Amino acid sequence: METLFKRKVTVTLKYIVVTFVASLLLMLIMSSFAKREYAISIFLGFALFAMAITYLTNFSIPMKFFLPGMFFLIAFVVGPILYTVAMSAFHYETGNYISKPEAITQILSTGVRPDADQTTFDIVIGEDAGKKLEILASDPLNKKYFISSLTSKIDLDASTLKIDENGDVATAPGFHALTPSEQSALDAQLGQARFVYSSDYFITIEGGTLGSLKRQTLTYDKTSDTFKNVLTGAIYKDNGTGDFANVANKAEILQPGWRAPIWFANYTKLFTDPQIRKPLIRVFIWTVVFASLTVLTQFALGLLIALVMNRKLFGRRIYRSIIILPYAMPSIMSILIWGGMFDTEFGAINHLFGTHVHWFQSPLYARLAVIIVNLWLGFPYFYLICSGALQAIPAELSEAAAIDGASSGQIFRKITLPLLLQVVSPLLVASFAFNFNNFNIIYLLTGGGPSNTLGGDVAGSTDILISYTYKIAFGAGTQNLGLASAISVVIFFIIASISLYGIRRSKVLDSFA
Amino acid sequence: MIRNRFGKVAAAVVVTGLISGIVTAPVHAASNTIIVWADETRGPNLQKVIAAKGDWVPGYTIKIVPFSSFDALKAAFDNATALTGPDIVVGANDWVATGAKQGKLAPVTLSSAVRANFTSNNFFDLSYKGVLYGVPLDVNNVAMIYNSKLTGKPATLGQMVSFYLKNKAADKLTAGLCVAGGGMSWGAASVLGALGGAPYVMSANGSVSVSADPVPADTVAANIKALFLDKNGKSNGFFPATDTGCKTAFLAGTVPYAIIGNWEWQDYVKAGFDMNLMPVPGVKHGTNGSAFASVSGAMLTTFAAAHGVDQGAKSLLNNFFGSTAGAVAYQNIELRPPANKKAQKDGSITAAQKGFGKAGSIAGIPQIGAILNGAPGGKSYWDLLPAFWTDVLVNGKDPVASAAKMDTFFQANIAAGVPQL
Repeated sequence: METLFKRKVTVTLKYIVVTFVASLLLMLIMSSFAKREYAISIFLGFALFAMAITYLTNFSIPMKFFLPGMFFLIAFVVGPILYTVAMSAFHYETGNYISKPEAITQILSTGVRPDADQTTFDIVIGEDAGKKLEILASDPLNKKYFISSLTSKIDLDASTLKIDENGDVATAPGFHALTPSEQSALDAQLGQARFVYSSDYFITIEGGTLGSLKRQTLTYDKTSDTFKNVLTGAIYKDNGTGDFANVANKAEILQPGWRAPIWFANYTKLFTDPQIRKPLIRVFIWTVVFASLTVLTQFALGLLIALVMNRKLFGRRIYRSIIILPYAMPSIMSILIWGGMFDTEFGAINHLFGTHVHWFQSPLYARLAVIIVNLWLGFPYFYLICSGALQAIPAELSEAAAIDGASSGQIFRKITLPLLLQVVSPLLVASFAFNFNNFNIIYLLTGGGPSNTLGGDVAGSTDILISYTYKIAFGAGTQNLGLASAISVVIFFIIASISLYGIRRSKVLDSFA
Repeated sequence: MIRNRFGKVAAAVVVTGLISGIVTAPVHAASNTIIVWADETRGPNLQKVIAAKGDWVPGYTIKIVPFSSFDALKAAFDNATALTGPDIVVGANDWVATGAKQGKLAPVTLSSAVRANFTSNNFFDLSYKGVLYGVPLDVNNVAMIYNSKLTGKPATLGQMVSFYLKNKAADKLTAGLCVAGGGMSWGAASVLGALGGAPYVMSANGSVSVSADPVPADTVAANIKALFLDKNGKSNGFFPATDTGCKTAFLAGTVPYAIIGNWEWQDYVKAGFDMNLMPVPGVKHGTNGSAFASVSGAMLTTFAAAHGVDQGAKSLLNNFFGSTAGAVAYQNIELRPPANKKAQKDGSITAAQKGFGKAGSIAGIPQIGAILNGAPGGKSYWDLLPAFWTDVLVNGKDPVASAAKMDTFFQANIAAGVPQL
């Protein structure tokens, strides 16, 4: 009876949880659909369907455990990787953000120019007797008044109108003014409306009481997919890379452009454009050096402290707590504090040593500072790992070696270190991969600098691949997301290759075979 | 048992629909609401003005969305889409070129009455390729303040240096002139100007000169050697290459001259300083270092049309942001120099606001993003000038060579940027 009751409670709880998760998913589907994010809607819809099948039936018991992880993996790992790969094949930079239809609309919009005098009229928005939209326009300077609709313009006799102290008219026979709320309801229609003025010019509404005299200087021909400047006669054609370019002068393009596929052009640029290739090679070398030195120094210091702490020591617990502190502190805070300590004028380090080292102005010192700070942040991790691993090594092995006459140095080199490396190798590989992409330390401590900006350097001396990518994508005046995506893909393959090689060498996956 | 399970599934489906429906319903905003994005100071102040008088555009509701910082606002606008973006964004003038290129900003036409409230330079700041994208809001500039308890009003840069070198030890001065507001590129432009350089040279007709040399290397280097370096070619300490600690040092009385931003003058007044504001004096009598005196603007976005409030947003630009009444009401709270000419003369505008306005009118140059942000594959002004200060004042590099390198980049930026104007 008790078991039956428990089962009923469990099942009811399951339905409640599933219901709430399904509600959340449905809400997200509706929201993403409303925002026209159809790929996300479809993915969430599939997740909802799979969740219902998995948890409301006995279709597959293992799936009940795997499903959440699988969906998170797809959403936050596989999805972004695929998106980055896709974006690397596009001309996607400042000026080429939107779709082609949006770009055409924008070009047409900016191609509407006011007349030379920037003529404006005081207007009243209204309707005629047949409910057709029209404006009652006043030109007080020239004492001209007219009613203009989308198809015709009727000049009014000023003597028949009631003109106010500003020289404007508010009413005319047959004209019915719209109230502010009626106008706000028609906002979209009013924004698109072009009221007749002359054969070349029309009037657009620029807010409730202002009409502006304009003409369309750029026209679009759908059939030939070209723009024409009616003033100069210039023809602008789709150049195949996301811009309408002047046929006579290809450097002259209309803006905005659009996000167009350029396939492998971003990858080609990486290896052919000297402005990108040269810093890229230098940055790559420093990235490898930085990640290697970081792992090596962190591991060495962590191991050294673990070996010391593995012995009986007075106040060992207190020391252990203190040593773990840098790991417990938020790294962002630590990095910023270290940044202040390295300041040339006011920093504690120069004050302490009585030096005047320009830590962040010299490439060598800046790199040294980065390694020191990263050592501070990372050694407690390796201390913890090595402490655990050392305790797992049977003491008998060392004792037997000692009886056989091995020195402590020999015991460490021939027994302790090889056994320790077997355990920590995957972690060393993981740490290398992490530091290869350790954006925070570079961005917060040196910002990638120093760089010889006046010498034309794009990348700074401490820039690693990921911070260099960030500079290309977001840091400069123009953002090149397509190129940054291509570099990200290259970084992904480098790290994946190194990690795979390291994992295979360490044979860590053999135990899962 | 089966009926029981179907009942539970059916109940689950119904509850799911109800919950998601209830939660999703309020997501959609009212269609006649004009959304305005602004930074952490302008946003809350605009909220106060709109709360005091909300009928600037009959038939529409105005909602001001403040951001935690200017950078946060820029990041949000960079990522904005038609579904998430604002109808009007209050931002810097150098957003115009990028915003227009990205198709996020829409052209605006102002009434003749509104146009008369501003200068042509103001409109130049907010235009890209001859198309106007916003209404000027406030003047964005820096000015030099001098500590009258230590020194008097200087006539030349040389006088300032002499005062510093003479009184450095006695007054325990940590620097002579430093940049407290605007950083080592934007804020320090007036120092480069005082030395004889500029990011670009403005012609008499208000356009950028493509033939004039922006940084005459020999002149600038000679002035640096004479005024900022000692006999050994090292910095004499008058002008630090960093802005770190400048404001604190000036407030503490250990720096006699500082370049301060017009958004922070109240801090100096609260600390007991008089608003002794002026442009940075040049090397020769009667000359001044030109500084950026750009305007921030209320810019119309293309999202307004997608949201169905394009006309309402245009009315708000004309009726509130472009009007003298709107400018006065807002600047009485925001306390920056108004861009609106009539508002500048209003009795309620403070002496400090007018002081910054005067400094801007004497030595102001427009901030042209199309040039300053750099030629494709080149370097931006924002990176170059701090690098120049570091090279000559910290790394001890030859000022002539460094100035010549900077000049080459500036000329390339001018050549690439001018055709875009």
